[in-house]
Amino acid sequence: MLHIGNEQVPLCGGINRRSFVQAGAAGIGALTLPSLMSMEAAGAVDYDKAKIKNCITLFLVGSPGHIDTFDMKPDAPDDIRGKFRPIQTAIPGEHICEHFPLLARKMDKVAMIRSLHHKTGTAHSNGSRWMMTGKDQIGPNQQPHVGSVVARVFGPKGNLPSSIILPGKIGNTGGPSINGQEARYVGSAYEPFFLGADPARSDFKVADLVPQEGQTDFRISARQDLLKQIDQLQRRAETSSTVQRDSAYARAFNLLTSPEAKSSFELTKEPDKLRDRYGRNTLGQSCLMARRLIERGSRYVTVNHFDTVFNICCWDMHANGSSLDNTYLDYERLLCPQLDQAFTALIEDLEDRGMLEDTVVAVLSEFGRTPKLNAKGGRDHYPPAWTNFLCGGNIQGGQIVGSTDKQGIGPHDRPITPPEVIASIYRGMGIDLETTMMPGPGSRPIRLIDAEPIAELF
Amino acid sequence: MDQKFEGTPKAEIRLDGRKLSRGDVTNDWGLRLQWQIKRDGEVIATPPARADISYTHPDEAPGKYEVVLQMWKYVNYKKKDGEFIDSKFIDISEPVTYTI
Repeated sequence: MLHIGNEQVPLCGGINRRSFVQAGAAGIGALTLPSLMSMEAAGAVDYDKAKIKNCITLFLVGSPGHIDTFDMKPDAPDDIRGKFRPIQTAIPGEHICEHFPLLARKMDKVAMIRSLHHKTGTAHSNGSRWMMTGKDQIGPNQQPHVGSVVARVFGPKGNLPSSIILPGKIGNTGGPSINGQEARYVGSAYEPFFLGADPARSDFKVADLVPQEGQTDFRISARQDLLKQIDQLQRRAETSSTVQRDSAYARAFNLLTSPEAKSSFELTKEPDKLRDRYGRNTLGQSCLMARRLIERGSRYVTVNHFDTVFNICCWDMHANGSSLDNTYLDYERLLCPQLDQAFTALIEDLEDRGMLEDTVVAVLSEFGRTPKLNAKGGRDHYPPAWTNFLCGGNIQGGQIVGSTDKQGIGPHDRPITPPEVIASIYRGMGIDLETTMMPGPGSRPIRLIDAEPIAELF
Repeated sequence: MDQKFEGTPKAEIRLDGRKLSRGDVTNDWGLRLQWQIKRDGEVIATPPARADISYTHPDEAPGKYEVVLQMWKYVNYKKKDGEFIDSKFIDISEPVTYTI
């Protein structure tokens, strides 16, 4: 038996987890990563028996100001407390911004973490790497995206990719474009699938699912046969890259040829009223698509709320009068209403379908924003304090964990770091971090995350 | 990718005395939804309309009141002097009127 995820998974060769660990620790080839992957490719590992819950992450690119949204300071001086007023939530005595009235009513489902902080830099990409991978690292052995880890350890449940990022990859945010959205050392076969299109558009198409003009089903099938033959030849060399490429080919063809996979992306099959409830915008329709993808076999779906911070309405509220000119008006009229509607629609929809207890929903961002308003009435990047929240899966909702001081400058109690949030997502998905390993750099078995879950959430 | 909002949101509103009610918004862009309240042609309030489908405006000053449901229409984020240039609120219902 091999321990993949929470369950012992049968292997044809009768190899157990201890053997796997010993082989990896010894650094010899008794059970190398390529051989394990070969067994997977041959169907020796029964991934369907690796039962875990799923996760949908909403990533707020640009990052909302904590004092303007989820950690308000109504008694602070004018230049700190900002323009918005707090409203009561479903948690007695706890308040959030007036522009999240629907979320306020759903707070009994939500665990809000108000003492997040990191110290490694003020660029968006520092925060992205923390919250997408659990570690802010560039250079050798960069950490894989959490979705890639889940895909690597637990594998696919069907024809859909295990990890999908909607609607697109985070691009230019002003610093190094390394935002923690890659598979890295777990292998290219576990790269997230990037949708690369806006599901709110009437002309929405997934490029990878639409054959090129003139390409018939017969030609697709013939090309697949040819690739299989090439793969069989290459397999004799049996390198890990061959196996990974094989998996990538298989995934691409599964997507291209499976009616079920294609159907997962067709939002027109959803009732108009439900599409309206999510909001006919990029975030809302991406959240609806995330639910469809989870429902049909994906394990980890990331929804990026924006792919850049320049020259668009996004959370990056510098109010600089130029390419970063988001202000309170953007928050009040577009950003807060979109998130309020999409997030609450998602958790209602998941609950209605009996899926919320099997799906962690995480709302994450890179950092907070400066407690003191800048000269133009905006707020700048601020990693010493911010708020994110989780619900669903094994997460115990209806609570606030940690706090900041009276002016939102830093954690007041229970300081929490990004890896603890990632560890909590894993535990919320039912993954036992004490017994679950993944192949690290050089195939050495390592823990999924070097941190413990936030105990209060469970 | 910047967001493009297609179609046009629509909703029906009803007046019962001074109590306003709205139906579901079709083609809902999911942006700020508000009641625009005018008295004798001048805008006096724009309370939010998302969380609750009913609203009674507390103002009892004499005059002719006209109310319409509005939604924010995002075109782009460009601003001048702190206000949007191209993006604006649009009416998504027929107006209703009452007199005090």
